[in-house]
Amino acid sequence: MTPPTNLLQGTLDLLILKSLALGELHGLGVSRRVEQLTRGTFEVGPGSLFPALHRLEASAWLSSRWGMSENNRKAKFYRLTAAGRRQLDVETGQWKRIAVAISYALEAT
Amino acid sequence: MSLFSHVRASMRNVAGRSAVEQDLDEELRSYVDELTAEYIKAGATAEEARRAALLKVGGMEHVKDQVRDERPGMMLENLGRDLRHGFRLLRRSPGFATIAVVTIALGIGATSAIFSVINAVALKPLPYPAADRLLYITSQFPALGFDKFWVSPPEYLELRERSKSYTDIAAYLENPVNVSEGSHPERVNAVFVTANMFDVLGVRPRLGTPFAPEQDRPNAEPVVVLSDAIWRRTFGSDASIVGKQIEIQGRKRMVVGVAPPGLDLHDIHPQVWLPLGLDPTNRRNRGSHYLYLVGRLKPDIAPGKAEAELRTLVHQWGTLSPGMHVPNDTTHRLQLAPLQVEVVGNVARALWILQGAVILVLLIACANVANLLLVRAEGRHKEFAIRSALGAGRGRILRQFTAEGMVLTTVGAILGLAIAHWGLKALLAANPASIPRSAEIAIDPRVVLFTLAVAVVTATIFGLAPLLHLGEGVVSAAIKEGGTRSTHSAARHRVRRGLVGGEIALAVMLVVGAGLLIRSFRNLTTVDAGFDGRNLVTFGINLPGATYTDAQRRAQFIADLAAKLHAIPGVQATAAMTGLPPNRQVNANDTDLENVPSGPDLPAHNIDYYQSSTVGYFEAMKIPILKGRSFTPSDVGGPGVAVINESMAKRFYPNVDPIGHRVRPSGPSDTLPWFTIVGVAKDVKQGGLDQKAGTEVYFNTEQGPRINGYAANSFNLVLRTTRPIEALAPAIGNAVRSMDPGLPIIQLRSMDGVFADSVSRQRFLSQLLSIFAGVALLLAAIGTYGVLSYLVTERRREIGIRVALGASSSGIVRLILRQGLGLTLGGILIGVAGALALARVTRSLLFGVSPTDPTTYFLVAGVILGIALLACLVPAQRAMRVDPLVAIRDE
Repeated sequence: MTPPTNLLQGTLDLLILKSLALGELHGLGVSRRVEQLTRGTFEVGPGSLFPALHRLEASAWLSSRWGMSENNRKAKFYRLTAAGRRQLDVETGQWKRIAVAISYALEAT
Repeated sequence: MSLFSHVRASMRNVAGRSAVEQDLDEELRSYVDELTAEYIKAGATAEEARRAALLKVGGMEHVKDQVRDERPGMMLENLGRDLRHGFRLLRRSPGFATIAVVTIALGIGATSAIFSVINAVALKPLPYPAADRLLYITSQFPALGFDKFWVSPPEYLELRERSKSYTDIAAYLENPVNVSEGSHPERVNAVFVTANMFDVLGVRPRLGTPFAPEQDRPNAEPVVVLSDAIWRRTFGSDASIVGKQIEIQGRKRMVVGVAPPGLDLHDIHPQVWLPLGLDPTNRRNRGSHYLYLVGRLKPDIAPGKAEAELRTLVHQWGTLSPGMHVPNDTTHRLQLAPLQVEVVGNVARALWILQGAVILVLLIACANVANLLLVRAEGRHKEFAIRSALGAGRGRILRQFTAEGMVLTTVGAILGLAIAHWGLKALLAANPASIPRSAEIAIDPRVVLFTLAVAVVTATIFGLAPLLHLGEGVVSAAIKEGGTRSTHSAARHRVRRGLVGGEIALAVMLVVGAGLLIRSFRNLTTVDAGFDGRNLVTFGINLPGATYTDAQRRAQFIADLAAKLHAIPGVQATAAMTGLPPNRQVNANDTDLENVPSGPDLPAHNIDYYQSSTVGYFEAMKIPILKGRSFTPSDVGGPGVAVINESMAKRFYPNVDPIGHRVRPSGPSDTLPWFTIVGVAKDVKQGGLDQKAGTEVYFNTEQGPRINGYAANSFNLVLRTTRPIEALAPAIGNAVRSMDPGLPIIQLRSMDGVFADSVSRQRFLSQLLSIFAGVALLLAAIGTYGVLSYLVTERRREIGIRVALGASSSGIVRLILRQGLGLTLGGILIGVAGALALARVTRSLLFGVSPTDPTTYFLVAGVILGIALLACLVPAQRAMRVDPLVAIRDE
């Protein structure tokens, strides 16, 4: 899935931050966690996942380290930084406001 | 994200690029491994799982590229990579690269060179503190046609007393003086200034003090402020010079100060500053206008307010100080202008025209290089299609497209700055006197910034050209086509033809402009000055009033010197006179004309030029006498005589024979002696070759002291001779030294040189514009040639088929010529329209030729058409030789 608009790019960032809220994950793990969180609605392919992870890391919202996966392979794990956690709160709040506003708009007659 | 982490990440990305890349490789690999493991767990075989995982990831390079784009510092890295790429591409075709870089460098170099002149002359404030507060005040006599005239001492004193807009107003006059120091006397520029001049300009001497008010009074102790230049050159930077005596105009003066380096006043380049010595109580000399005024506005006064105040003052002047020649609203106004505008004068207009011209040249150069890049980009169509298919992002391809242009412009701009630097030196060396403030011209940060801006614009133009045809779908179309041609060729041809048509139009405008200037310069040099300037040698002599106090002695000295010079072998005739035609300052002397009624508004008749000349002057100069006679030896001891010129005869004696009428310089008394007109001479240009001659009256030098006690201090001597000036110089030097070893010979030169100097600015402008027009012509020809050759190459197959079907070779040539000439004619038409539209701008620079002069336009159109024909001929010939078999099989 390629997010075609800024809104969707922001959504992807939010979903990735959210998926890491419970603990650190490697790339595929983030992808699977997002799928699980959205009940299969969003499937994040590597073409959007890795640019997003690097972007978030460059913004210092994520930190990364090399570790061993559950399959005993070397993998790069990402985790939220304190700033990332704050960002998650901010973006969650923003998203809720938007969601409410849009649903109002759509329900209006 | 914090700035710090951004910077750190950028540095890591740029510096440790390979480590980061390795990291990314590993991360992606581990992703594939994890995915494979997942598929295996779901029941796939190892091989199937691996294949499915790789498929899922898609183009590995594509993912990496996208990640790279997210990294901070990527811009820099990409830029570096693209530039390297551009360099590699250009190295592969050194011929193209050289032509393109030289074209751009010339364009940018010329543009920057002219800009640095404009920057120094017109844009930079004058080198005084708060120079924008300085105003220049002059007078006007509309009825006499004097638009910028001097101000008289009473006018200056009264303006200074009455005006409330200025912190102070200073006055000055310019007059060269002899400085005698050691063995070699020197003639230098000097200004005579009021004591407050340094304060008004806002400068302090670097040594000593400015003039004290009591040193600026009639008969005060003689003092001088030296310029920094003469202090270094002639006085060896003597730090104890202040208080010493030096000799100026035969008179000892005490040095009170040394001016700061480069201090100038209205481009006079004074070497010594002398006190003006006005008598503040003398308000009688209202008729003598000889001062220029510089005022410094009070900080809270706007120039508009000062102007309104001046108008009010002029309006009331007559009631406050009644008398003749008092400023008033109609016949004698005062005006002010910013000092900078005054100094730069009409040069700024000429400079902006030059700047416009070089920008046109630059545009033509850009169009040419853009065309070349376009052709190259088309050749690389397939390459880009493949890159795109391999996963290169669209932005990436665009960047690579423009990389070449960027490299070309960067190298071109650096070379251009060097060209500007050396070009400026050559320019100033060739025309030192024709540009004001020339000492300030240099490549400063502003010029570099300007060059940078020009380079960015240039690069954008290059960038745009290839983009124009990299429209949507081009990539897929190119792959399908598989060749160098695309379905968009019609659109691309339009772009390219538009570029060449534009080039031709710009070239036409430039060449028309240059043609008009060359014609007006030719007109200037062929103007009949009223005398025969060939085989004349001239120099100036100044007799210091301190030693040559007696008028009789001065007149005798000049007559004797003329006779001595006549004795030099090879000299056919000599004479001396006060004013050197064809370009000297106007006198505008009030003159009594007996029996000629004066107008109601003009208290006295005014004659533009006075000329005091020795017997034999008209003969030596070969000025025809139209009526009556010239001065003869019998006049030396005879009654007062005068010769007038044609213009004066026409103006004041329109219906009567002027001979026998009497004239005299106006004076305070009615009993002054008269001079009887004995002849009418042909008009001689005095105020410039491009000006009308004006009225002129000649008095005889030898009889002057006896008749009215007058003899001038400064004379010009003329020698008619066929010998070269170098051969005569020693003999002339000996003649002068034998009479007074302390007198410097001022500006020994041929009359041809005097003429050349008087039109140096016009020559400078027409030469420069001709060079630009020539370059434009060359570039436009190259552009036309390039596009037509490309069209022929592209139409090879079509031409081959035509030939195979029986088209004659002349038919093929016609086909190509039609295409080329259509292009050219369109460009010429647009160019002519553009030149006509600019006629108003050029009008003020032209002499004796209309800005819409049809001859010039037709000539230019013809020349450009001819050059375009030549540029078409080679491609047409190539088309003629197309072998149909080869051309068709080529596909």
